[in-house]
Amino acid sequence: MNRNQLAILLSLLIGISVIGFFFFGREKEVDYSSEIKPILNKHCITCHGGVKKSGGFSLLFEEEAFAPTESGHPAIIPGDPNSSELIKRLTHSDPELRMPYQRPALSEEEIELLKTWIKQGAKWGKHWAYEPVKEPEITSQIQSAGIGSTDREANLAPIDLLIREKLTEKGMIPSMEEQPLRLLRRVALDLTGLPPSDSLVSDFSAGKITYEQAVDQLLSSPAYGEKWAAWWLDLARYADTKGYERDVSRTMWPYRDWVIRAFNDDKPFDEFTIEQLAGDLLPNPTQDQLTATAFHRNTMNNDEGGTQDEEFRVAALLDRVNTTYEVWQSTTMACVQCHSHTYDPIRHEEYYQSAAFFNNTRDEDTHDEEPRLRFYEEAQQGQIEAVLNWTKAQEGEKAAKIRGDFLKFFEPKYAAHLATDFNKAELIDTKWLGLWPGGSAVYKNIDTQGSDQMLLDYWTGINGTQMTIRKDGPEGEVLASFVINKTEGEIVRQIPFKPVSGKVNLYFEAKNPSAKPQQNTSAIVWFAFVPSLKGKDKPGFAQVQNSWEELLKFRGTRLPILIENPPYMSRTTQVFERGNWMVPGDQVKPKTPAEFGGWQEKWPANRLGFAYWLTSAENPLTSRTLVNRIWDQLFGRGIVRTLEDMGSQSDPPTHPELLDYLAWKTMNDYDWSIKSLIREIVTSQTYKQSSAISAEAYRQDPDNQWYARGPRFRLSAEQVRDQALAVSGLLSRKMYGPGVKPPQPEGIWQTVYNGESWTESEGEDRYRRGIYTFLKRTSPYPSFISFDAGSREVCLSKRLVTNTPLQALVTLNDPVYLEAAKNLGKKTWEKSSGNAERAISQAYEQLVLSPISEGKKKTLLELYASAKTEFTQDPKALEEFYPGAKPEEAAMAVVANAMMNLDEFLTKP
Amino acid sequence: MNSLEKLFAELAVQKLQHQTRRHFLMDCVSKMGGLAMAPLLFGCEPGKLSKSTSGLQLSERDLNPLAPLPPPFLGKAKSIIYLHMAGAPSQLELFDYKPELAKYHDQACPESLLEGRKFAFIRGVPKMLGPQAKFSQHGESGAWVSDYLPHFAKVADEVAFLKAMHTDQFNHGPAQLFMQTGSARLGRPSLGSWVTYGLGTENQNLPGFVVLTSGGKTPDAGKSVWGSGFLPSVYQGVQCRSKGDPVLYLEDPSGMSRDLKKNVISAINQANQEDFETFGDPEILSRINQYEMAYRMQIEVPEVMNINDEPEYMHELYGTKSGEESFANNCLLARKLVEKGVRVVQLYDWGWDTHGTDHDGSIDMGLRNKCREIDRPMAALLLDLKQRGLLEETLVVWGGEFGRTPMQENREGKQMGFLGRDHHVDAFTMWMAGGGVKKGTSYGITDDFGFAGVDERVSVHDLHATILHLMGFDHEKFTYDFQGRPFRLTDVHGELIHSVLA
Repeated sequence: MNRNQLAILLSLLIGISVIGFFFFGREKEVDYSSEIKPILNKHCITCHGGVKKSGGFSLLFEEEAFAPTESGHPAIIPGDPNSSELIKRLTHSDPELRMPYQRPALSEEEIELLKTWIKQGAKWGKHWAYEPVKEPEITSQIQSAGIGSTDREANLAPIDLLIREKLTEKGMIPSMEEQPLRLLRRVALDLTGLPPSDSLVSDFSAGKITYEQAVDQLLSSPAYGEKWAAWWLDLARYADTKGYERDVSRTMWPYRDWVIRAFNDDKPFDEFTIEQLAGDLLPNPTQDQLTATAFHRNTMNNDEGGTQDEEFRVAALLDRVNTTYEVWQSTTMACVQCHSHTYDPIRHEEYYQSAAFFNNTRDEDTHDEEPRLRFYEEAQQGQIEAVLNWTKAQEGEKAAKIRGDFLKFFEPKYAAHLATDFNKAELIDTKWLGLWPGGSAVYKNIDTQGSDQMLLDYWTGINGTQMTIRKDGPEGEVLASFVINKTEGEIVRQIPFKPVSGKVNLYFEAKNPSAKPQQNTSAIVWFAFVPSLKGKDKPGFAQVQNSWEELLKFRGTRLPILIENPPYMSRTTQVFERGNWMVPGDQVKPKTPAEFGGWQEKWPANRLGFAYWLTSAENPLTSRTLVNRIWDQLFGRGIVRTLEDMGSQSDPPTHPELLDYLAWKTMNDYDWSIKSLIREIVTSQTYKQSSAISAEAYRQDPDNQWYARGPRFRLSAEQVRDQALAVSGLLSRKMYGPGVKPPQPEGIWQTVYNGESWTESEGEDRYRRGIYTFLKRTSPYPSFISFDAGSREVCLSKRLVTNTPLQALVTLNDPVYLEAAKNLGKKTWEKSSGNAERAISQAYEQLVLSPISEGKKKTLLELYASAKTEFTQDPKALEEFYPGAKPEEAAMAVVANAMMNLDEFLTKP
Repeated sequence: MNSLEKLFAELAVQKLQHQTRRHFLMDCVSKMGGLAMAPLLFGCEPGKLSKSTSGLQLSERDLNPLAPLPPPFLGKAKSIIYLHMAGAPSQLELFDYKPELAKYHDQACPESLLEGRKFAFIRGVPKMLGPQAKFSQHGESGAWVSDYLPHFAKVADEVAFLKAMHTDQFNHGPAQLFMQTGSARLGRPSLGSWVTYGLGTENQNLPGFVVLTSGGKTPDAGKSVWGSGFLPSVYQGVQCRSKGDPVLYLEDPSGMSRDLKKNVISAINQANQEDFETFGDPEILSRINQYEMAYRMQIEVPEVMNINDEPEYMHELYGTKSGEESFANNCLLARKLVEKGVRVVQLYDWGWDTHGTDHDGSIDMGLRNKCREIDRPMAALLLDLKQRGLLEETLVVWGGEFGRTPMQENREGKQMGFLGRDHHVDAFTMWMAGGGVKKGTSYGITDDFGFAGVDERVSVHDLHATILHLMGFDHEKFTYDFQGRPFRLTDVHGELIHSVLA
């Protein structure tokens, strides 16, 4: 925009506000959210809100602020600042009475503002972040300002307009556009996590495709999903192990693959949300929708002997509440777990009302991590169909649905740890029921659904145990009686069961004269009630029964997922006093926090309703949160800097209109398409600016919060590795599947009571993208940790970017990087027919897509020469460093190693 | 000069030193961009990098997040050596002498002790288990130390015992996390990370927070006990290993000489220097600094981790053997590391979980053997630090993650093959020595069975508050913002234990 156009725009804007002023009265109305709340938060709320209510006065909620205090009178009298105790105390001459107590007084301006606010009626308001996103006026502004006439200005998108507005205010000037190829490298790294392919580089530099076309190619590359999934997996706390002491492996990778596919398919963010939070509650959920619910099974699971499953089930539940609010609402709920929020208007009981949405899933921190979704093989699909068709024909749709669900995820069932009244019995390693000879235990309030068959999952190493299950107690009616013999591992067995109705107590007893007195006759894992297949006398029964039994043996890929409790197993939710699960208080029902608004009665009061609430257009925070985080991924900081929090304690947005413009557009025009949102940002002039900076500009805006230059920051842990493998030609593009274990130094894995080891992957699996690297929570892949990747125990909104000597050691000495350097050196050496200068120039250009400077060329040539001399003079060193290579090749590898450590290479340009 | 004046004088000197360092740094930045690389590779050449750096307002921390900082107030201790006995040793066989318990040996545990309590493995009514060690008093302080620790008994006057420690976690993983991070759940920064974040470190050629493990395994809670949680990863503990590279990827690729590596780093930094001129991004200066530090770490870490050059009497004092991964070697290394200016040295010794499931896990035999492994080195560490004048400024902390029951374990109601004690949260003993600790004291009184503290109880948060105080921090003000709120090591708890302060 040239200066004239800017002037026109500015005067228009000023004109509008001047007219507004005359229209709406002389004294400007004080705005509670932007002018009063910040003062109260800064000076008052630590003593008058949330945990503390000094003098019986709190400013947290509206009704509290106007309620009588300990003095018997309200402290704020709307319309009458002079009689309001609040104002009196701020200006009191007695230091004992003057507020804030023992701290500096408020400024005159602040007091004046408070007075005006009270005089105007002390109108309460919401924090900006809790106001629904409104349709922005930006589009009409652009049209009326007449921008969009000539060359570069024609590209001034709304983003740029809003950014320029602030820059002008600050007296700052935007930077020039970045050099085309450097820009291509930037956008390729941002969109795919990889440098641009050779063909993209040549098409783009030959002018065959435009920048926008290049962006579209990158967005449609499968690598896009791999890059952006890494961001989401940090939020989802995805890992390949359970966490805690034993930290054994778990099968979570189908969820990771689901996330990659969802990004590549550009699954709209509302669907993306609903499926992850409540896919199981959708009508007839697909395998994919069930897979998505593993999002909340990424919570840790404690296998340590002696730990109570219920304690860690509750820990996982609370983590789900906290994570959901952090991921979708940029809200810190962890405080409210123990007390009403100090700063944000969320009450203690509201936390547990939110928890009530999540408290009814089947998972109970059991060792086997059930419920798990079964991924059957092709052949087994036919068996399932046969079994279900048979059931449907014999017993109807409903029975077929129950059986079908059971085959999908083996629920509902009762876990062994529910046992009570142990007599000569134990909960083995606090996990499985072990009955000694003559021993018994009781399961209370079990609903058998009148089933004529029980499925029992157990294993044992001894023969001849007579098991009896009775109603209520030792003298009760016998419901099942059977003999248990030695098994080959864990089995699921069908046991005829006498149908009973309603909830019963099941008394389990075991007799085995040949077992030792304190020997476990078996280890029982769970039991379930699934009726036997009907139609025994019909032709074909035997085959169907056989299929059913085969399916029960399934041991293939099983993914922990969310499954809602059937009504007869549902839990009630109680407030935990001061957050302590051992001290339950009042019972609560599922309900969203009042301040956030937007709940519609038509929605079910379960996770599905909660997900609808999150993704409705009235929810003020979901779209703002999404936009803020995508912006951060691209610019290295959010429009609201505190990514995890948009509440009262957060920084105000640097560009509030921009945040709301993008939030509105994403929800409405883009229909929650993340690719469209990203495309709009990366095609803006703001994004395309050069990232070079003068000392003066740095001083003016060290954090680049006003965007007078392009983003420049170090690549992420995965990108650092992926890029090195990509440029050297080692990177495997194989997608999906179980986590891989590329080489790492010996002795990294040392976990107690865990027989697992890091078995190095073979072949191309050693060179897969970082997102496929097996992530063990208590011992993550060491070089990723050095580069600030998390260990994924809890939700992480933002990775910090550090700069440490340990990082230097990784890229200098880790064998992977050395191998990459050798490959790169070899490639360019051959391409340049053994001309060192050409090889260095080519390699450099391949790495950072810009020509090498004379200075750097000289430096690297000197390094080449010294390395060559050394390897020529010391053949033994040469043989050790690079077996079979010539001194020149080894020297070139050393240079490549140095190049791959350059700041420019490790940094997004 | 009275002690107060002395304190002020010291503080003044510290401040001055800090300013000088800062001044030097700014000078160097404005003159040549890289800081420590100067002497090593380029020499300080004023004017080489003049134009764009001179205007930058950078703090020392911008270039080096581990640069030393003065604490908010003058702490007595400059560094910490924390000896964590993973698995939890029995206080009843080591320090908490309970003659009454002996009288109840083999009798059924009184119901009153079991009511409303949960244990990890004890079920039903277990038997009481009398002390399996012989106790006597030692030194001028008359400290009770058992015959399991004869060497340590001789230095008992140096320490302050905390005998009524209590925790709220009775499983190893959560309890270790709680002890080391102030929270039983994963994800919080460890004590060592907090201290390193707050103080930086004195020696830029070594990691600021070093972890050494022995006993063949890492602690139950894994590497999270020295993780940096939400603090920048630069503050996490760096595990120095006895086998392989002492620090991961420390060793140069085989066949690459030190000279060549120096040339490599020199070339990288020169090229980066040029980029700084072009792009003006101060992160590049920081990277230059980090590469140089990496180079120096490669020299200094193997040096400090090598105990071969220690005199024979040192090996005798500690009971060290070169090349072993042992608690003794780690104690000697801990002394070498703090001597070199490392801020936090954290030792984990695994193998203290004496349930009585086997010989090694028995209270009368396994525990005695385990004590032999630590007795001499632990005493040697205190003596050695003292003779070097380092004990005054080094805080030494010893303890497990919880205590052990006065009852004999009956796992899931079964008679055990050996004598063992279950996990216990209500009472256990820890000790502190050195920087700012009132030596020769015993704080905390437990009941006649050693089951629970009856007076002067100390929680894990209290211990953390006290450690932070000794390092110069008010634990209530030492916070870091994460997920929208300020976090503290002590959460919303913790009382300073004044009685153990010198």
